Amino acid sequence: MKKYSAAISNEAERRKKKLGRMFLWAVLLIFAVFQFFPMLWVVDFSLAKDNQLFGSEILIWPSEPQWENYVLAWTNGHVLQYTLNSLFVVLCTIAITVFFSLTLGYAFTRMRWKHAGMVLSFVLLGMMIPIHTTLLPNFLIYKRLHMLDTPWALILPYSAFSIPLGVFIMTGFLNSLPASLEEAAVLDGCGVMRIIFQIALPLTKSAVATIAVMTFINNWNEFIMACTFIGTPDWKTLPFSVYEFAGQYTSRYAVQFAVMVLSSIPALLVYALLNEQITKGVTYGAVKE
Amino acid sequence: MLSNKRTIVFLVVPGLLVIFAGIVFPILMSVYLSVTDQQGAGAATFVGLRNYIQIFTADKTFWISVLHSLILALGLICIQHPLCMLFAILLDKIGGKAEKIFRVLLFVPNVISIMVTAKMWQNIFNATFGMLNKLLAAVGLSALCQNWLGDPKFVLGCVIFIVMWQGFGYGMLIYYAGVKGISQDINEACEIDGARGLTKFFRVTLPLLLPVIIVNVTLAIISALKEMEIVYLITDGGPGISSQFPALYLYQMAFRNYKYGYANAISVVFVAICLIVTYFYNRALKARDA
Repeated sequence: MKKYSAAISNEAERRKKKLGRMFLWAVLLIFAVFQFFPMLWVVDFSLAKDNQLFGSEILIWPSEPQWENYVLAWTNGHVLQYTLNSLFVVLCTIAITVFFSLTLGYAFTRMRWKHAGMVLSFVLLGMMIPIHTTLLPNFLIYKRLHMLDTPWALILPYSAFSIPLGVFIMTGFLNSLPASLEEAAVLDGCGVMRIIFQIALPLTKSAVATIAVMTFINNWNEFIMACTFIGTPDWKTLPFSVYEFAGQYTSRYAVQFAVMVLSSIPALLVYALLNEQITKGVTYGAVKE
Repeated sequence: MLSNKRTIVFLVVPGLLVIFAGIVFPILMSVYLSVTDQQGAGAATFVGLRNYIQIFTADKTFWISVLHSLILALGLICIQHPLCMLFAILLDKIGGKAEKIFRVLLFVPNVISIMVTAKMWQNIFNATFGMLNKLLAAVGLSALCQNWLGDPKFVLGCVIFIVMWQGFGYGMLIYYAGVKGISQDINEACEIDGARGLTKFFRVTLPLLLPVIIVNVTLAIISALKEMEIVYLITDGGPGISSQFPALYLYQMAFRNYKYGYANAISVVFVAICLIVTYFYNRALKARDA
């Protein structure tokens, strides 16, 4: 008898658990749909005819998908050229950021010097400064130096604003790493550059990867500096595809949507490949290790 | 080891130079120009603290835009963050493959360019063909249809909503890391003591998440102060100044009105506000680590 009732309560328990799980799934699914629906809407109407947007349907069934929207978007949106420009700018920024995060991080954690703590806090302050406060003075400076319309007008400020986060990640990582290997290298008479790039770099691979993806995520879609410092199509970056297209083809809604979809693909690809690293980078420092 | 002066200078100075050239020098230049009346390419004459006096005593628009930032921050903290926390806990609960899939999916809006997000929401809120009005009409609520972005009553709410939508995944991820950081021992202890559901949440989870909450709240304030791209691309601060934000106001002053001196004074006040927030953030962090 006792066994029997236990079986019943077990059964009830299991059912309750199952119900709870279904509820959990439902809530998460609804929310995921809520987060995705706007994007789905854009993709949907990017395959429609321009005037279909004015119908009463919320989503349409693309019975005759207008692939030529994408052809037009690709050719007139300068997607390829602007992607390559973005790629050049961001890769340079990543290289500079990683290099200086390593050298600075190394000097802050492995060497003893006066005011090291103060200088470090100063560098980290950079994370809190809004880029917008430097727009006007930088514009005036780059104008004077004839740097406007060159990629360096983006690479320099992007790097300057990325290095503080890089140093933050690198110092945290180096602090948790024993210095014994490097000490051995010093005794062997290695120079400091060799120590950093031949011994420390391989050891800090995961921090370097995190810094690289965070620099990518933070700068790839940057728009306001690009639109202030760059006016020539030679160096415009990817967000301009959407911006220019919306300005030139105001009534071609479907094609605008197609440009939006196309210009999102590179970042989505990177995210698909590196989402673990990105998760790590975003949460870094928020949680005490 | 290797701590001789030359090596240190060699390692530190080049990196600091980049930061100096990209951030510090421009800000110093801002400070310098902020006490002039420079307009466009014209010559600058020294006007003392006149620009600052005007900001603090006469410039209503600037302070309204700061107020909008604070409302945005409040919205993020009171609406977005509880949702972020809830979903972080739900994700942790569901476990397995679903945990990873949802975690990855919910972050996607963060990866999409702000340009695309802005254009997308501009179309959704559009009064004539926007999805939102169509949706309302479809469920028989056409009475609620609005000119969302053209009405001063709704535009700020729309902007806040868009910022929340885009930033949701970011906030959730940070809370998620916090939830994951709660050790298995504590969860087991709860199980044994019979602490569950809301009791467990308020007595155990929430206090343990406090450090993460401090970080997240500060990030919310800072990002609310930094908000510019969405209003720049969608509303241009309007109608009127009903969706004006400090960074946008600064931008308009500089690049549309060419009031360089005045814009730079706004810049300096803006940096000061951010530094004050940072100061309190650091104090909160010190309290946490103590």
